Amino acid sequence: MRQTILQGLEQAYSNLVRMIADFIPRFLVMLIVIVLGLLVAFALKYILRIVLNLTKLDRVSEEAGASRILRIAHFTSMTALLSRSIFWLTWFGFILIGLSVLGVAGLQEQISRLFQFLPEVFVGILILFLGLLTANFLSRTALLAAVNAGHRSAKVFSWSIRFLVWILTISMTLEELGVARQTVISAFSIIFGALMFGLAIAFGLGGQDLARQLLERYLGNTKKAKDNEPQPL
Amino acid sequence: MSDERRHYVAGSFGIPQFESEISSALAEDTILADDLLRQLMSVGEVDLLVGIISHGDAITDRHAFHAIEQSFQEHFTRERAVIINVGGGDNHEGDASGAAHGDLAEKNMLFARSLRTVHRVSADFSAPPSAGLALRTILTAADLLRARACAMVSPGTTNLTPDRIASLLNPVFRERFDFVAPLYTRHKFQGLLARNLLYPMSRAIFCRGIRELYSDEWGFSGRLASACLSQDVWHEESIKTRPEAWMAISAISSDFRCCQAFLGPKLQSATGPATDIVEVFRHTVGNLFWCMESRQSTWLDCKRSESVKTLGPEQELTSEPADLDRHRIFEMFRNGVAELEPILSSILDPETHAEIKDIVALEESAFRFGPDLWVRTLYDFAASHHHAVINRDHLVQALIPLYRGMTFSFLMEHSDSSAAEMEVVNESLCVEFERRRPYLIEKWKAKMEVKS
Amino acid sequence: MAMQKDNLWYKDAVIYQLHVRTFSDSNADGVGDFAGLTQRLDYLQELGITAIWLLPFFPSPLRDDGYDISDYTSVHPSYGSLDDFKAFLLAAHDRGMRIIIEMVLNHTSDQHPWFIESRSSSENSKRDWYVWSQTDVRYEGVGIIFVDTEVSNWAWDPITKSYYWHRFFSHQPDLNFDNPAVLEALWEVMTFWLDLGIDGFRFDAVPYLVEREGTSCENLPETHAIIRELRKRLDLAYPGKMLLAEANNLPANVRAYFGNGDEFHTAFHFPLMPRMFMSVKLEDRKPIIDIFEQTPEIPDNCQWCIFLRNHDELTLEMVTDIERDFMNDEYAKDKTMRINRGIRRRLAPMMDNDRRRIELLNGLLMSMPGTPIVYYGDEIGMGDNIYLGDRNGVRTPMQWDGDANAGFSTADPERLYSPVISNAVYGYQAINVESQKRSEHSILCWMKSLIKLRNSFPVFGRGSIQFLKPANHRVLAYVRQLGEETILVVNNLSSSAQAVELDMRRFKGLIPIEMFGRNMFPRFGDLPYLLTLGPYQFYWFRLRRI
Repeated sequence: MRQTILQGLEQAYSNLVRMIADFIPRFLVMLIVIVLGLLVAFALKYILRIVLNLTKLDRVSEEAGASRILRIAHFTSMTALLSRSIFWLTWFGFILIGLSVLGVAGLQEQISRLFQFLPEVFVGILILFLGLLTANFLSRTALLAAVNAGHRSAKVFSWSIRFLVWILTISMTLEELGVARQTVISAFSIIFGALMFGLAIAFGLGGQDLARQLLERYLGNTKKAKDNEPQPL
Repeated sequence: MSDERRHYVAGSFGIPQFESEISSALAEDTILADDLLRQLMSVGEVDLLVGIISHGDAITDRHAFHAIEQSFQEHFTRERAVIINVGGGDNHEGDASGAAHGDLAEKNMLFARSLRTVHRVSADFSAPPSAGLALRTILTAADLLRARACAMVSPGTTNLTPDRIASLLNPVFRERFDFVAPLYTRHKFQGLLARNLLYPMSRAIFCRGIRELYSDEWGFSGRLASACLSQDVWHEESIKTRPEAWMAISAISSDFRCCQAFLGPKLQSATGPATDIVEVFRHTVGNLFWCMESRQSTWLDCKRSESVKTLGPEQELTSEPADLDRHRIFEMFRNGVAELEPILSSILDPETHAEIKDIVALEESAFRFGPDLWVRTLYDFAASHHHAVINRDHLVQALIPLYRGMTFSFLMEHSDSSAAEMEVVNESLCVEFERRRPYLIEKWKAKMEVKS
Repeated sequence: MAMQKDNLWYKDAVIYQLHVRTFSDSNADGVGDFAGLTQRLDYLQELGITAIWLLPFFPSPLRDDGYDISDYTSVHPSYGSLDDFKAFLLAAHDRGMRIIIEMVLNHTSDQHPWFIESRSSSENSKRDWYVWSQTDVRYEGVGIIFVDTEVSNWAWDPITKSYYWHRFFSHQPDLNFDNPAVLEALWEVMTFWLDLGIDGFRFDAVPYLVEREGTSCENLPETHAIIRELRKRLDLAYPGKMLLAEANNLPANVRAYFGNGDEFHTAFHFPLMPRMFMSVKLEDRKPIIDIFEQTPEIPDNCQWCIFLRNHDELTLEMVTDIERDFMNDEYAKDKTMRINRGIRRRLAPMMDNDRRRIELLNGLLMSMPGTPIVYYGDEIGMGDNIYLGDRNGVRTPMQWDGDANAGFSTADPERLYSPVISNAVYGYQAINVESQKRSEHSILCWMKSLIKLRNSFPVFGRGSIQFLKPANHRVLAYVRQLGEETILVVNNLSSSAQAVELDMRRFKGLIPIEMFGRNMFPRFGDLPYLLTLGPYQFYWFRLRRI
């Protein structure tokens, strides 16, 4: 019996040593991959920052109003956002590759699924971002047009536009991410349809005068309104 | 270049029609189709060139041609001349003097006095060309024909007379000016945008003042035409829609000799451009801001203002009663400031914004939008436009309510003012713009340093 | 050489205008004469001239270069005798050249026996041969022609203490055509010369023959009646002779002088002449086109006479004020060059001695519809002397060679009727017939070829004209046609090279053959026919179907 225990211990010990001997190289490779990934990520971040500075992306995004949205998220600029994103994405990718090298059962499959989900996440983020941008732009456009045309409810009009675009954007984002697809689509249809219906009634009944004014304007009968203001040029 | 061109047909008096069947393939890097080029070759070098951008109204076009040709006969009998009509279609058939059935005797009289052939070249487009493309066509023609003196006129100007055209051409042709801006007789409350914003601001910034930056008629030299052509700006939206200010600013911000010539009343036909204030602001103020952007290397270093020679009266103001809804203007200002507060806060300096919010609270009778505040407001907008704090088109539109506030204040203050008093006020506003120039420069450069 | 018997010979003629005084002096008295002229006829024949128009050679006080005649039926002794004239006439005819002489109908010299008689007393039988008046207010408002020297059309006669009418100089009283005797007397004069064998008359100052109150005293119906009468007699008694009208007026008014083919055979086209000069300076065909558009059709047996320069000033009567100012500013910057309402310069100096422009204008002269008249000396590019009085600057001695007096005379230079041109550019040493004969590229040789070419094609004299109006206004192009013969003439009026596209679809299939070099050019087709021309260059193309 003592012999058996000793043999068992010896077996276990040699298994352990073999496991460790087997694991350490893979662990070292993982570390190397992660460190390499860090270096590559830094390099890419630096190169991207240079390229984006040359293309004056920040100026364009400032003009588009994207920078304001970014500042809410405590990003100083689009260049900073993109370069940081590319840094983390790159390094995250290398980390995942490193982890897959470890050969832990089940981990590889999860990593693979994560890689497959990543593009949808990107698209979702992009849709959200563009949607917010569009909402911002359209609402401001509507606000300015209404203010300069002398309409009293300019802010309401502007917020309505913003809200509609937000709803559309969020629905599209959730649908892209695959989160409760059916629920989201149905909810969106109901809300959007109700809003449109409500607006139609509101405009139809309450906006008759406005509609008439708009028609008169587009049919060329604008003199009366314009004559009340001095000719600018 | 997106516009298509089918063919160009030239007309000179009495020349039988000869339309080329050759397809007008565009030569690379040129906006002139082969047919137009061929007809310009036939014209050869000219002394005078008058460009018209037709609005498609045959009657006003014909009146314009007649006035131009008469101007040539009366004032430039010996000079070689051509009329370039852009976008008007083939309207030269049979007579270059606009002679319809009843005008034949007059046409014959005109030609009895005429020494030379007066050419009329029509540049035809499949769709109405943009103002920028039309001007570019005319400038190109002026460059190719080595025209010494040129003028742009609008057939929409119903009181286009031979003397008026001569007033634009003479300073260039005989006195060697490069740019001639018009001056008009105006009602004292007409053209407030030009008088209270465009003129004083451009004068302060570019150190030379042209009262009418945006006009359908002006004169220019071949030298200026060539210089403008060489600039790579034709794809810009502001140039496509209202290129005249850019040309004026190109002249006053460079070493070209500029002057202003008094033309009389400014009238427009019913077919003229729209007067929707948003469009006007886009095309004028937006254009001015864009010009500031594109020429910052010039105006930032400008130290001293120069006067621009005026031929004729500096200004003529009339004071007939005007039917204006002042209350509505004030309400639109007040409403605009309130509704656009978030936007204004991102554009204006906090102190400026605070002052505006203060005056919004005033009663109509006590309201006053002082010149100092107005100047700082505009300079804040200009600097914010430069830094693109928001979409630039939105920024320009956001200025409109404030302009209305200034207009209301102006109307209230000067309802009984005489023309002389208004001129003094205008001049003091110009001085205020010039005095605050360092403020603009500081704002303009400020974020540039942070960003770099 | 026998002359062709053709009553329409004047349509094909190339006329050479000269004053016998200026051409050649045979007797060393410093004045050209008929004997000298006769000696030079070979030169003119070689040049291709078919008719000579002689300026007045009649006895005269010479206060208006012979237009003040004191004897209609004789020859001024300075120029020789009547026999000399007859010999000259015979020699000219032998060489196939016709002779046209002056017939000054409107007025005589105040030294003419008719006037001497007329002014002697108010009862004289010839009193009524001139236009007399007790006052100078008749025919008020009538224009003065010699504005530089005359202040009125009436002159005071101290003998009969009355006024006599003169449209020209005061020493040239107007004859009174209301008196039938005047007409008869003048017809006798005409028959005198016709019987000698001359071939035609140039009627000087035709528009002014008759005066009527309340009119301009020009171009009156009575004047035309007189001309018709003379023409009728001429055709009856002397068929084949030619009458040439000097009527400085717009083509529409001159048209009347052709009548229905029963007045003048030919008339000067005065308004065309300054417009040719104008077109070259403006580099624009418009003035020429305009005047042709204003030129009416004339009867088939009639002809315009066209010219570049003549013995008078380049008249600017038939142009607008703007055109006159332009011509003066461009061609007569020095006011010394101006006289009356014209420019007293020759062709070559006006062209700044630019050979190309001289050729161009001569090309126009020889190819446009009408009978061309070459002023003596212009075929070699003679210059002028604007410092001589009146219009004498363009009437200097002909330059034959580089020897003394330009070979015109062996008299002492001081004795010459006029000094020869002797400056560095136009002086006789540089510009003369002999030196130009020796160079086949001289302007003289070129003129010979040009005239020869013109003489070879009756289409130039008798054909129709149709203007092509290409887009390039600097090019004047026209087609001359007579029967099957078609000539295309293309002229570059500009000082720079030009390209022109001509619409020759009507002549599709024809081949243009350049007439000087006789080279073929590409055939005409449907497409615009592209030609390029050098500065002031011109082409004559004969269009043939081959």
